[in-house]
Amino acid sequence: MLAYAARRLLTVLITLLAASLIVFAVLQIVPGDPARLMLGINATQDAVDNLRQQLNLDDPIHVRYATWLTDMARGDFGSSYTYSVPVRELIAERVIVSLPLALIALTLSTLVAIPVGIFTASRHGTSTDTATMAVTQFGIAIPNFWFALLLVYIFAITLRWVPAGGFPGWDDGILPALQSLILPAVALALPQAAILSRITRSALLETMREDYIRTARAKGLPARRVLWHHALRNALIPVLTIMGLQFAFLLAGTIIIENVFYLPGLGRLVFQAIQQLDLIVVQSVVTLLVAAVISVNFLVDLAYAWADPRLRSRTR
Amino acid sequence: MSDADLLATEHDDIGQIIKRALRNRSFLVGLVITLAVLALALMSFVWTPYDVTKLVIADRLKAPSFAHWFGTDHFGRDIASMIMEGARNSIAVALVAVAIGIIIGVPIGCWAAAKRGIVDEILMRSSDIIFAFPALLSAVMITAIFGPGAVNAIIAIGIFNIPVFARVARGAALSIWPREFILAARASGKSDARITREHILPNIANLLLVQGTIQFSLGILAEAGLSYVGLGAQPPNPSWGRMLSEAQTMMSLAPQMAIAPGVAIIITVLGLNLLGDGLRDVLDPKLRRDR
Amino acid sequence: MEASAILKIEKLNLDIGSKPILRDIDLTVHAGRVHAIVGESGSGKSMTALATMQLLPSGAKPSGTIVFQDNNLLELTETQMCALRGDDIGMVFQEPMTALNPVKTIGEQVAEGIRWHEGASRQEADDRARHLLERVGLPERQFPLNRYPHELSGGQRQRVVIAIACALKPKLLIADEPTTALDVVLQKQILDLLRSLVEQDGMGLILISHDLGVVADMADDLTVLRNGSIKENGPAADVLHHQRHPYTRQLAEASAHVPDWNSRDASANDQPLLKLEQVSKDYPGRRTSLFSKSSPFRAVDQVSFYIAEGRSIGLVGRSGCGKSTLARMILALDQPSSGSIKLNDVDTVKATGDEMESLRRDMQVVFQDPYGSFNPRRTVEWLVSEPLHTLPDAPSQSERRERVLEALREVGMTKDALNRYPHEFSGGQRQRLAIARAIITRPKLIVADEPVSALDVSIRAQILDLFAELNDHLGIAFLFITHDLTVARAITHEVMVMDAGRIVEHGPSSKVLKHPETAAARALVDAAPDLQKSIKSRMTDIG
Repeated sequence: MLAYAARRLLTVLITLLAASLIVFAVLQIVPGDPARLMLGINATQDAVDNLRQQLNLDDPIHVRYATWLTDMARGDFGSSYTYSVPVRELIAERVIVSLPLALIALTLSTLVAIPVGIFTASRHGTSTDTATMAVTQFGIAIPNFWFALLLVYIFAITLRWVPAGGFPGWDDGILPALQSLILPAVALALPQAAILSRITRSALLETMREDYIRTARAKGLPARRVLWHHALRNALIPVLTIMGLQFAFLLAGTIIIENVFYLPGLGRLVFQAIQQLDLIVVQSVVTLLVAAVISVNFLVDLAYAWADPRLRSRTR
Repeated sequence: MSDADLLATEHDDIGQIIKRALRNRSFLVGLVITLAVLALALMSFVWTPYDVTKLVIADRLKAPSFAHWFGTDHFGRDIASMIMEGARNSIAVALVAVAIGIIIGVPIGCWAAAKRGIVDEILMRSSDIIFAFPALLSAVMITAIFGPGAVNAIIAIGIFNIPVFARVARGAALSIWPREFILAARASGKSDARITREHILPNIANLLLVQGTIQFSLGILAEAGLSYVGLGAQPPNPSWGRMLSEAQTMMSLAPQMAIAPGVAIIITVLGLNLLGDGLRDVLDPKLRRDR
Repeated sequence: MEASAILKIEKLNLDIGSKPILRDIDLTVHAGRVHAIVGESGSGKSMTALATMQLLPSGAKPSGTIVFQDNNLLELTETQMCALRGDDIGMVFQEPMTALNPVKTIGEQVAEGIRWHEGASRQEADDRARHLLERVGLPERQFPLNRYPHELSGGQRQRVVIAIACALKPKLLIADEPTTALDVVLQKQILDLLRSLVEQDGMGLILISHDLGVVADMADDLTVLRNGSIKENGPAADVLHHQRHPYTRQLAEASAHVPDWNSRDASANDQPLLKLEQVSKDYPGRRTSLFSKSSPFRAVDQVSFYIAEGRSIGLVGRSGCGKSTLARMILALDQPSSGSIKLNDVDTVKATGDEMESLRRDMQVVFQDPYGSFNPRRTVEWLVSEPLHTLPDAPSQSERRERVLEALREVGMTKDALNRYPHEFSGGQRQRLAIARAIITRPKLIVADEPVSALDVSIRAQILDLFAELNDHLGIAFLFITHDLTVARAITHEVMVMDAGRIVEHGPSSKVLKHPETAAARALVDAAPDLQKSIKSRMTDIG
């Protein structure tokens, strides 16, 4: 098990390094002088030179990559040109919006989807099953930002239960903060829940056709116990895979959803930074998000090994 | 979702497939919706109820009526006409992105499966790396750096279809390679490329077709997202995503503006998903038990 | 109901959808006796078992009575059935590799039934599981309770399944082809285990098999099924000896079939066609941790032999002995780690281009699985003509068709097969097509990997006849790779016995199969089911 984890960790580090290289490379191929691009055509040559120096643009490319990487590793993410503050501070104040948002959404989607998947699988072929599956078809088809608009119209504009957007911060207590996160979280969670419940259901049904399920039935276990004790853990592998992928979707989803709700989160930060061509912020935040996705996938890999003893002893 | 059932299925003559298709409700509903959306998009080239480039301020924010089925927007443009023209854009972007994925991804996946070993390892690790970039985030990055617009949206979405198809093709091909009929072909001295062409591709085509419809529908959603944040097709070309972002600013005044584009997206995606599910069942000759 | 009868099936009919599966099945199983149900595929033998367990697929409609302990099982509720299954009735399935839950330890899986049915504590259930596993030949020292199924071999897994089924001393045990997926030596071990359980616990055993030879030694009572109805039913020795029903006779003859083969006694010429010298194959060791690997595994160890033109050689051995790896190297689908393989004096490892094509032309292959050996999406004409691409000049369309037709004729198929697809043919017909594909280039050697073991006995006999005919008429040399000695007995001149990567015995078939000299060869010969021998020994038992 430990050897398996160590091997996966090595892959994670290599992937991380390769990903940072891609982020760095993409921003190098920006057409024209990045400093000029960031400052606009009207900037003075002095200002441009100043920024070039700040960005170490005159260094050779591999030196710049190495400097950037070692700085990042030390926690120094550079400083934002547009906000004139260290990127690290920007990230710190934004992550406390985005992370709770993604976690609430993931929790919501899992809490809804897995029971729905198990319920429909155990009532496979009934009209409840058919109806629920029809609902999930719609769930998958709804764009989350449109669903968000619908939620805003109903709960913020018409019913006035929650604010239509913005974020009061965590200083005024947890409740107002949660109030402004709940609609975005629901909007993010719905399509994911629909996908996850379908995956859970079909993975369970697939597992229920395995030979060892018949062995369990021949032991005299009732169908329900067989589902919970024998099928569920085997069906978990595809479910875990999708949950891992969904984390990446949720992170990307925050870019749009935070725009709908005017939430000052990482997604909105990176979106605005891209529009303002604040490349320092872009490369730091993107690298951070990618690192988050890779770490989550690492956790999913560990969960696989927990769920499937064959992986623990196998080589790769 | 036993995709394995779609591999190396028995040959059916076209008559049997049509017979199964006509009995499959998902397939029929999906096909009708998809064809209808396609027809509306094509029709918009020659005719729309109103000219969407003309602004008629007097008619602004009209509620749905007989003259304007879905009402008008804040510039007095007919929403129904804009939906028709928007369909064009959505379909074109998603379709070309799927084509990019298939044309580049499938050969890569087949190659990895045929060569195994180090080639396979490198290709699959690279696709892991691409998967680590949340697709939409990277699409935002690409379109922002190279400028917004439909073409860059296609590239951004298409790039992420490449590893998807590469993985699906590789996984499917890997499960065909150990079969005895491949051994027989190898024993008669056929090259890897020829075996891939003659034996592997025909046996994984069904699976790729189904994956294609799924990626098509995901492409529609992604394009809507990109144009919603202003990075998709640029004005004056109407797009469903941008119509929604404009509707958002009018949300308290004219909520009906948000209905039609949203419903258009949902119906299109729903139709494609139903078509994909239906195709899966129609192409798999063993009677499907679940789903 | 007689005193010893524990299961009485009367007038059992079964339809699945609108398809009739079973018709008027009557049979009685007695305590302490082995009741064999024998039939070919589609005879309904497995469905009879599943009907008794009430584990039929959805859409199945049984009628009649299945009386067990004064209850008609067909009328019991699911809850009542659950109380019986695993407690009073146990079942063992065919596929040991997939019959165990991969994410639970063997201890958990054996103990689960005990805890469920008797409410035993975890401690007590584990103790009993330990004892049960010991009883089926898996002592705790080597097989602790916390082993997972993937850490066990097929034979060991089947022992675990038997332990599960017998955990609560059932009155009735149903074993559905429990040894079909195992090699002959394991088969004998598992059958002996079942026999001893029946004798010790006095339970009734229903043993389902497609092969009369397998059950001839074991069965006390015998039911012969065909197409869902009973052909013959009675004490096994009596049924086997008299063979009153023509179908029983047909099955018995087919399972001991020896083809008319003119070249059987032909002496070998000394023209070596295929020659192996010191061929070895190593597989790299598995990575045991980040920095170390276990030592490499030698699958084939310094094998040397030659096959003369027109000879038929059997390569027999237990599963995992390296015979399939050797076959792949001979076919040049895999490279040896060392040694040389020459066909017509050309080294197959070094051959390239035209040389390789000509080698391929002279050497073809027939696989075991008649379902997996054809691309399902191509027509017979395309598939059978596939090896023609090794010809130096591509034949014209009409020439191709001509050659396909000739090959089809030689294997006893007609030309209406040309435009059909593989799934339209039965298993036996597909194996004929596979042979047609193999002979279309007029090869000098055909390597056949278990070519009849997936076939029903009557079909098996026909395919063996076909091989004999091809050897007589076309002079093709054969290398039969098999764990089944009936093939070796029926149609080889010489037999090689392989064990742990080495060829341990090589000689004329009659000699090796009658008087094996090495332990490995003896184990195979002793374990191989032999119908005639069994019948003889049983008749002397009765007197």
